[in-house]
Amino acid sequence: MAKPFGDILLELAREDPRICGVSCDCWGFLGPLHGEFPHRAIEVGIAEQNLIGVAAGLAVRGKTPFALGMNPFVTMRCFEQIRTDLGYGCRNVKVIGAYGGGVMYGGWGCTHHAMEEIGLMRLIPTMTVVMPADGFECEQAVRAAAATEGPFYIALAGGELPLSVPEEQREFALGRAAVLRGGQDVALLATGPAVREALRAGELLAERGVSARVLSMHTVKPIDREAVLSAARTGLIVTLEEHTVIGGLGGAVAETLAEAGAGTPLRRLGLQDVFACMVGSYEDVKQRFGITAQALVDTVVAELG
Amino acid sequence: MTASRSELLAHLEARARQIRRHVVRIAGMSDCHTGGSLSIADMLAALYFHVLRVDPANPTWADRDHFILSKGHCVPALAAALAMRGFFSEDELVRHLELDSLVPGHACARVTPGIDVSTGSLGHGLSIGVGVALGVRIDRAPSRVFVLLGDGELQEGSNWEAAMAAAHHKLDGLIAIVDRNMYQTGPTEQMMALEPLADKWAAFGWSVRAIDGHDIGQIVDTLDALPFEAGKPSAIIARTVKGHGVSLSTHHHMDRFSEEQMLAALAELAAP
Repeated sequence: MAKPFGDILLELAREDPRICGVSCDCWGFLGPLHGEFPHRAIEVGIAEQNLIGVAAGLAVRGKTPFALGMNPFVTMRCFEQIRTDLGYGCRNVKVIGAYGGGVMYGGWGCTHHAMEEIGLMRLIPTMTVVMPADGFECEQAVRAAAATEGPFYIALAGGELPLSVPEEQREFALGRAAVLRGGQDVALLATGPAVREALRAGELLAERGVSARVLSMHTVKPIDREAVLSAARTGLIVTLEEHTVIGGLGGAVAETLAEAGAGTPLRRLGLQDVFACMVGSYEDVKQRFGITAQALVDTVVAELG
Repeated sequence: MTASRSELLAHLEARARQIRRHVVRIAGMSDCHTGGSLSIADMLAALYFHVLRVDPANPTWADRDHFILSKGHCVPALAAALAMRGFFSEDELVRHLELDSLVPGHACARVTPGIDVSTGSLGHGLSIGVGVALGVRIDRAPSRVFVLLGDGELQEGSNWEAAMAAAHHKLDGLIAIVDRNMYQTGPTEQMMALEPLADKWAAFGWSVRAIDGHDIGQIVDTLDALPFEAGKPSAIIARTVKGHGVSLSTHHHMDRFSEEQMLAALAELAAP
């Protein structure tokens, strides 16, 4: 059972008096912190621009604020505040996409899809971008962010979905991809909640006699170049993300491969420069737009013949 | 007026004149945001030479007062005040925009000693000020937080998010000073009207005073009366003239003076 973010933040706050929380209508996440340290838990209302400015100001006073908002809004509405006040300003602020990552809102509308969050955050100099796959990676990422100076973006969404790999077999190091399944024929590189689909695809491919390596690329920036180039020694790389393939994990992997001169075939699954506009469930959206284990399997089978 | 008060006001007026002379010299060397720099000179003089607790030898002193220039393009005037206050050499000021100078085109904390917050994109400073004030509260520090805003800048909606939050959190250590010089690239009330401006701040929960932003006596009395009300942030609407003190710059956003123009402007700013 994953530990709730609010409890992790309170534990960190007990250890480090600089830690505080700022909420943009995400007050539920700050309940534990507010209970013990009322002045260190701050609500700003539905106002993303102010959220980031307030967090920057707290950092001016030497605090380590965790600034929480809903993924699509906390990355887009206040992009300039994140870029200028946190990036250019060199502020030790951790921006937390607290809910509504990727296409998790399914058919509730594209307003609520965070299909640009990785790309936007990746553009900002000094920004570390982490997309945990589940509760284990979430907790590790939050602790790593607290211990590392500089601006971070962490998308908590997906954190409630435990992966099938037991925790005792898991490892987490910031900037290092986690190998969740070994394999030599093909490498499946996924990030955030899409990692679950990649793991399932690994199992389905094994049934067909294809050995698939599955990586959780939780830290999309800085990208784990070594892991990508190691994956390039298999016959095919397929990336999977609940994100537009332009500028997201697929973009980051493509850049890494091209600069290294790796000729390994690459296929990028995710939103293909489209809005996932439809009415239906989260699963329906992933199905229709090819962000599933089956889409990975179909791609691998088509490519490897 | 007591002798000490008249001495103080004369001292601050001389400082304001000196800030303006620096701005004029900068405009004689390079393009310069003269108008808005000249309109804030009196307030900067009162802040940096009477009000703000800052230490040039220890710029990150935890108990310092914070000053944020939200209208970051007016950094020539702020840089002048900081240099005169001892944060760096006044000789550096005319190197505005030159390679590796300490005086950039927009306020940059990475470049200029004494600047806490990088600004230039309008509508950012007040939110940061709210955060600083909340941090001061966590620290139980005596620091106050002054944010100097342009009037045209108040057209950015983010200011009103910050104004709402400051009142909600009862930040009476936060002071917003609006440089009400009535001009942006054109006349502010024609481009996007702000009036009734004092009522807007009051409606957002601030305690408001309107003053003549070029009357050093009024500025000092107002700053000495802070906070205006316990439990409320304070807003000072300072009526100013864009380019005040230099006829050539009246209502100008930017200037680049010829040698002759610079000398004429400096003559206008000669001590009385």
